[in-house]
Amino acid sequence: MKFLITKELGHTRLLTILMSAVVFFILLYLVFDVALHAYVIGTDRHGIALTLFGDAENFVEPILLDTLLLQVHSDLFMSLFSLLILTSIGIRMYGGTRIIRWAVHLVFVLGMLSAVMLLVAYFVGTWLIPVWIAVFVAWHVFAFVLGVSVLKTLLFS
Amino acid sequence: MKDSEFYKIPIAYLLPYSVLIVASGVWLFLLSQGLDSAQSLMQTLKDIFYTPEAKSVRGLIEVATPHLFAMGMLIFVAAHFMLFSTRVSKKTTAIVALMVFGFALFDILAYFMISFGWLVSGWMKLLAMVSFVSALTLLLSLLAFSL
Repeated sequence: MKFLITKELGHTRLLTILMSAVVFFILLYLVFDVALHAYVIGTDRHGIALTLFGDAENFVEPILLDTLLLQVHSDLFMSLFSLLILTSIGIRMYGGTRIIRWAVHLVFVLGMLSAVMLLVAYFVGTWLIPVWIAVFVAWHVFAFVLGVSVLKTLLFS
Repeated sequence: MKDSEFYKIPIAYLLPYSVLIVASGVWLFLLSQGLDSAQSLMQTLKDIFYTPEAKSVRGLIEVATPHLFAMGMLIFVAAHFMLFSTRVSKKTTAIVALMVFGFALFDILAYFMISFGWLVSGWMKLLAMVSFVSALTLLLSLLAFSL
């Protein structure tokens, strides 16, 4: 947490480099997380429905509840830690402006909803799949935009 | 600390995330003990007590390894935010944090006793899980109180 209490980043070039590197890794994590979910869950509404509910006519088994729950369990952990680091650096860079405040709330709520919504969709039905896709894409896009913005400020100001 | 008020936002979100992570973890454990096969929760708990599922040492190590890192990290992060607290003393934080670390280790390693044949009943695992969840809840409550 040293980056929170160091007053001027200009005097600590090493800290700026380290913060830039960790934000870069989080950005890569966000991209790879989308790819991972595309492989594990599916890329479109039909593919996701096939994964979650199977297809009796074509003898496709639905995903096991414990496999899905394990994915949700690790998604929650990964999103918590990536967002804690990203938002803490974001607040450090921009201070407590109204925009950053809303951005922090938005990414945390969307990250949590994304994990929970996938599990709820498994129990409720196919109509929730588009909602999960929207929430999942939104949290990744907003976190990515926040990360790019932080990285830009770290490198060019 | 600059803009310390605003750091309360990510710290506050740590609480519901932690609750969801622990709840899904407990659910996963119960599923592995037969909860999904049309069993009630009480029946599953009885089964764990009297006849816990046989698990290989390899399977336990596969579960224990990521949890040793992840639970340690989660407890450390939650507890170290208490350093900024003015409402809870450092001594109380230290006692509670060490208690959570201890119960987490107990929870992770408890099933090995069953796999090694030292225990036939699963009461030790249930006790470990309840102790860890209670201690973590106490730590998270202190963190919420400090916000």
